[in-house]
Amino acid sequence: MADEEIGETEVATDEEAAHPFFEGAQLPPDAARRLAELEDRPGHKGMFTSDLSVNEFLLIKEVGFHPVGFVMGSSIYHLGIQTRRWSQSQELAKLTEAMYNARELAMNRMDAEALELGADGVVGVRLDVNYYEWGSDTAEFIAVGTAVKAEDGKSYRNNQGKPFTSDLSGQDFWTLLQTGHVPLGLVMGTCVYHIAHRSLGQTVRSAGQNIELPNFTQALYEARELAMTRMQDEANELGATGIVGVRLEEKTHMWGDHTIEFLSLGTAVVKTEGEHQIPVPQTIISLDG
Amino acid sequence: MPPSDLPEAATERLGHGAWSSALSVPDFASTLALGLEPVGFVQGYCVMQWSWYQQGTTAPFLGGYGQPVANAGSYSEVYRCPHGMVSAEHRTFGYNWEQDWLETSWAQGWGLAYQRMMEEAEASGAHGVIGVLDAAAPLAGSSTIEYSIRGTAVVVPDSPRPSRIFSTFLSGARLAKLIEAGYTPVSVVAAMSSVQMIGYCITRYQMSGQANMGWLGSVAGVSSIAQVGKAQSAARHLARAKVRAQLGSDSLHGAHLDQSTREFGEGDMAIQCVIKGTRVRRFKDFNPLPHPTTVVPLR
Repeated sequence: MADEEIGETEVATDEEAAHPFFEGAQLPPDAARRLAELEDRPGHKGMFTSDLSVNEFLLIKEVGFHPVGFVMGSSIYHLGIQTRRWSQSQELAKLTEAMYNARELAMNRMDAEALELGADGVVGVRLDVNYYEWGSDTAEFIAVGTAVKAEDGKSYRNNQGKPFTSDLSGQDFWTLLQTGHVPLGLVMGTCVYHIAHRSLGQTVRSAGQNIELPNFTQALYEARELAMTRMQDEANELGATGIVGVRLEEKTHMWGDHTIEFLSLGTAVVKTEGEHQIPVPQTIISLDG
Repeated sequence: MPPSDLPEAATERLGHGAWSSALSVPDFASTLALGLEPVGFVQGYCVMQWSWYQQGTTAPFLGGYGQPVANAGSYSEVYRCPHGMVSAEHRTFGYNWEQDWLETSWAQGWGLAYQRMMEEAEASGAHGVIGVLDAAAPLAGSSTIEYSIRGTAVVVPDSPRPSRIFSTFLSGARLAKLIEAGYTPVSVVAAMSSVQMIGYCITRYQMSGQANMGWLGSVAGVSSIAQVGKAQSAARHLARAKVRAQLGSDSLHGAHLDQSTREFGEGDMAIQCVIKGTRVRRFKDFNPLPHPTTVVPLR
C-alpha cells in the first residue's frame, strides 16, 4: 500500500533555538528591558503586571504570595514531514518529539523570564498553539502566566531550581495550598499517532455489522497511555506525589483525520511535610440570583 | 482486543510513581476532606464499526406492503393511510420500531470501554472511581464510533480491598453531599434506546406543513403529530426500562437524559435516547444538613 507522504523522515530543527538571543535561555533584549522595568531597585520603584483577576490577586496575597510580573515564552516551530504507512497504526515519533520540544522551548523561555524576576513560581499558565497563513506547517507555541514570589522569603522552587509552573487559577492555587500540597510544575506528555486506513477487503468483510474494531481500540488506547505515561515520568522527575487537573486533549492540527496528537497536561504536586488538617467545607447559599 | 487485556503502557503507568487525577483542585480538596485519596487517572476505550442499517429492516422504505419489521425489538407499530389512494408519492404505510441491534451495539461498545476502565482501577488497587466522564464520537470517518470512559480511581486509606469497586459520575462536593444524605454510590449505569420512524402520508403532510390543505380533510391545521410523539415517547420509555433493569432494588441519582433525532428522509427519522446516572444505595438515615450560611459574592 502506498505511503501517505513520501520523504525524508525528518522534522526541521528549531532554527531559533540556536539563535544568539536564546542561547543559555538568554532573553530577547526587549524582554530583558521590560522585566527590568518591573524590578524594585535603588532609585527605581518597580511595579508588577499580571493577568490575574482581582479575586485571584486577593487569594494569591492571602496565601502569602505576591505577583511580580506577567511572563511569557514562545517558539515558532516548523513541523516537518514523516512517512506514514496507509494501513498501519503507529506512533509518529519525530512529530511527537517536535510537538514536545516546541512546547518545552516555550515553557523554558517563560521560566527564564520568571527567573529574571526572582519568582518562586508561575500560576495560571496557558499553553496555546497558533497557526498563521504565512507559514505552512509552521506553528507558534506560546506559554504565558503570572510569576509570583513568596512573601515569607522561603523558596518554593522545584528540585531543578526552577520556579514552579502550574495552570491553576488563583482560586485553585489557594485551594491546593489548603490541602497541604504545593505545585511543582506543569507536566505534559504527548504522542502523535497515525490511525490506519481500513482496506477495501476489511470494509467489505464487516459491511453492515456493528462490531468492535480491536486494532483501532488498541492503537488509540496505547497512544493515550503513552502520552499519560510521559506526563507521569515528568512528574516523577520533579519528585511529585501526584498530578491534579489532568486533561487529555486530542487534536488533528494540520494533519488530517487520521493523524492525532494526544496531549496530556496537569499540575504536579507534592504533599508538604507534617500533618495537615483540611478545613471542613461550609454549606452556603449564594444570594446571587 | 480481549476485554481482560490492558495495554502494556497502562499496566506500566499504573504500576509506579506519582498518581494522576482528572479532578479539578476544588474536587481534589473535597475528595481529601471526604477521606478518599486519588491513586490514578483511569480510562477505557472501544472503537466500534457503526452501521445504522441491518439486513431485513429496509423493507419499510418507499411505504412498502407486508410485514417490514422482522428485526424489531419489543416495540413496533404500523400506521395505515386513511385516504385509500395508492401512488409513488403517497405513503400508504408508516412504521415505528425499536432498533434493538443498535441498542445491543451501543451497550457492547459502552460496556467494553467501562469494563476496561474498571480493570485499570482494579490494577491500581482502587476502592472506587469518581468523576466518571463518558463520550461517544466518530473516529476518522463516519462509520466508526469510539466510546471513551474516564475517571479518577480513589482509595479509602487503611481499608481492605473491596469485593467490588464502586463508580460514580459524581465527584468532590456533590459526592460528599450524597454521602452526607445517607447514600453510597454503587456504579454508573447507562442505557441507549433507538426507535426508527418511517412516516406515513399523514405524518409526512403534518411535518411538511401541508396538513391544513383542505383536500386532506382528516387532519387539523395545528395538531400533535401522533406518530412522532409515539416514537419519541417509546424511545424514552425503552431507555428508562433498560436503566431500571440495571438498578435492582437501588435508586438512580442524577439521571441525565439526552435525546437526539436524526432525519434521513422526508418524514423519516431515527430517535436515540441515552439515560445515565449513578446507582446509589442507602446506608444510613438522613441527617439534616447544618443550617447554611448565606453569602453574597463580590463579583
